[in-house]
Amino acid sequence: MEKDTIYAKRPMQQLYLLRLLVRRNIKNQYYRSFIGILWTVLNPLLNMIVMAFVFINLFGSEGIALDYPIYVLSGNIIFGIMRASTTGSLPCLVEQQDMLQKTNVSIGLFPTANVFSALVTFGFSFIALLIVMLFRFFAGAYAFTWEIILTVILLPAILLFSLGLSYFLSALYVFFRDLKHIYSVVLTLWTYLTPLFYTIDALKNDYIGKFMRLNPMYHYVNYFRDLLIGTVPTLETHIICYGFGIAMFVIGYVFLSTVRNQIAARL
Amino acid sequence: MVNSDSQKEVLLEVKDVTMNFTRYEVGVDSLKELVVRAFKRDLKREKFVCLKDISFTVHRGEAVAVIGRNGVGKSTLLKIVSGILKPTKGYARCYGRISPLLQLGAGFDGNATGMENIYLNAAILGYTKKEIDEKLQSILDFAELGEFIYSPVKTYSSGMLARLGFSIAINMESEIMLIDEILAVGDMAFQQKCYNKLEELRAKGLTFLIVSHSDVVEKLCDRAIWIERGHMIADGDAKTVFQEYTQTMMQPSETGKS
Repeated sequence: MEKDTIYAKRPMQQLYLLRLLVRRNIKNQYYRSFIGILWTVLNPLLNMIVMAFVFINLFGSEGIALDYPIYVLSGNIIFGIMRASTTGSLPCLVEQQDMLQKTNVSIGLFPTANVFSALVTFGFSFIALLIVMLFRFFAGAYAFTWEIILTVILLPAILLFSLGLSYFLSALYVFFRDLKHIYSVVLTLWTYLTPLFYTIDALKNDYIGKFMRLNPMYHYVNYFRDLLIGTVPTLETHIICYGFGIAMFVIGYVFLSTVRNQIAARL
Repeated sequence: MVNSDSQKEVLLEVKDVTMNFTRYEVGVDSLKELVVRAFKRDLKREKFVCLKDISFTVHRGEAVAVIGRNGVGKSTLLKIVSGILKPTKGYARCYGRISPLLQLGAGFDGNATGMENIYLNAAILGYTKKEIDEKLQSILDFAELGEFIYSPVKTYSSGMLARLGFSIAINMESEIMLIDEILAVGDMAFQQKCYNKLEELRAKGLTFLIVSHSDVVEKLCDRAIWIERGHMIADGDAKTVFQEYTQTMMQPSETGKS
């Protein structure tokens, strides 16, 4: 995002600013709470317990190769990257309007900072997942696999996807302030249309199963679960995951760049 | 007094800058409204010329005041110069490091301490950690916040916030300072201190572009640009332009013809 001024923005400086913004996000997220950063681990853990408790009786765990608590938690923390990125990014440009109107800071940094904060939160959630795995391992319900380290191959794809969507939404929100309400509904729908608690087979509906393939989050969640089971995803899966990620990133980036000049005038 | 000599290095070049804003007559800022109004064919757009063909250059070491009534586009001009807004036509080029002081403490984070905000704010202004570390002591000395620097800034009074903001902006090294009517903050003692600091920087050879009407600015600047309804109507020696401006403002009936 270069400016017209000849003073080219230095990448290292921008990286430093990004780091400060991410740290600020994380701090503010858990600022008021008593146990602070521990919440980032506890929160997904407690959520998972509730989900496992509620859904294990509703859907039953037959047909799921993975231990059910792990199945629920793994889906949720992957989906959580996208959810946290976009809900944080949506209002971020409007919230920073003071700064954007009065300083010539690069506009893309704010949604980017939100996505990286979501990644940090994912890191903590991952610890929660490992704790659960350890418990299930001792209960004899789960066996660790080496493929789990391949998560680092999956993450860039999700990050690209989240970045693109965050750029797009944060810019659009400047123009349409009711997007917040619309998006929260869309996000709820999206949550239920992604097999986080259930399996596609449990739907007993081929049509929805085909439709599900258009949902990028389905692929990301599936990829992650494959790793936990101990399967290396196929080349096709990789192409799909990165295809969605790169496409979304390009769309978001282009959109934000085109409306960038209107944003400062509009805020 | 006016630096018209062309030998001096040009630091800031504003050429034929025109700024148009397109506005819906009624502010449309939600999807619902856009859809409803599109159906009712009630989307009147209005083009609004904010600045028209503004050209001027500022040389190194000059201090230029921008004056004019409220709402004639002075702040927009400063935003264009600092690169926040892009002009519809023309360009504004800076050949040096610019430090926009358009609002003190823009982007302060209430939950963070004063110290953390120094780093955050300076990083937003475009400085690296090393550069900030070097300037930290002079920022702290100038702000005179004592132990409060380790408290969250949401506990600060507005005067203290202004002190901190001003102190950060003024102490970071830059070649051009853009200042938008921000000096009317803090108590008298601090205001005096700010003006002294500005004069000190001025003596050091820094370049200023200031939007303000106060007498002190008249003394600080050697050149003034007068903008009326988006047009530049005077550019010259500060004293002369300020005098003309004051005279015109005293006779409201005359202003319409200018």
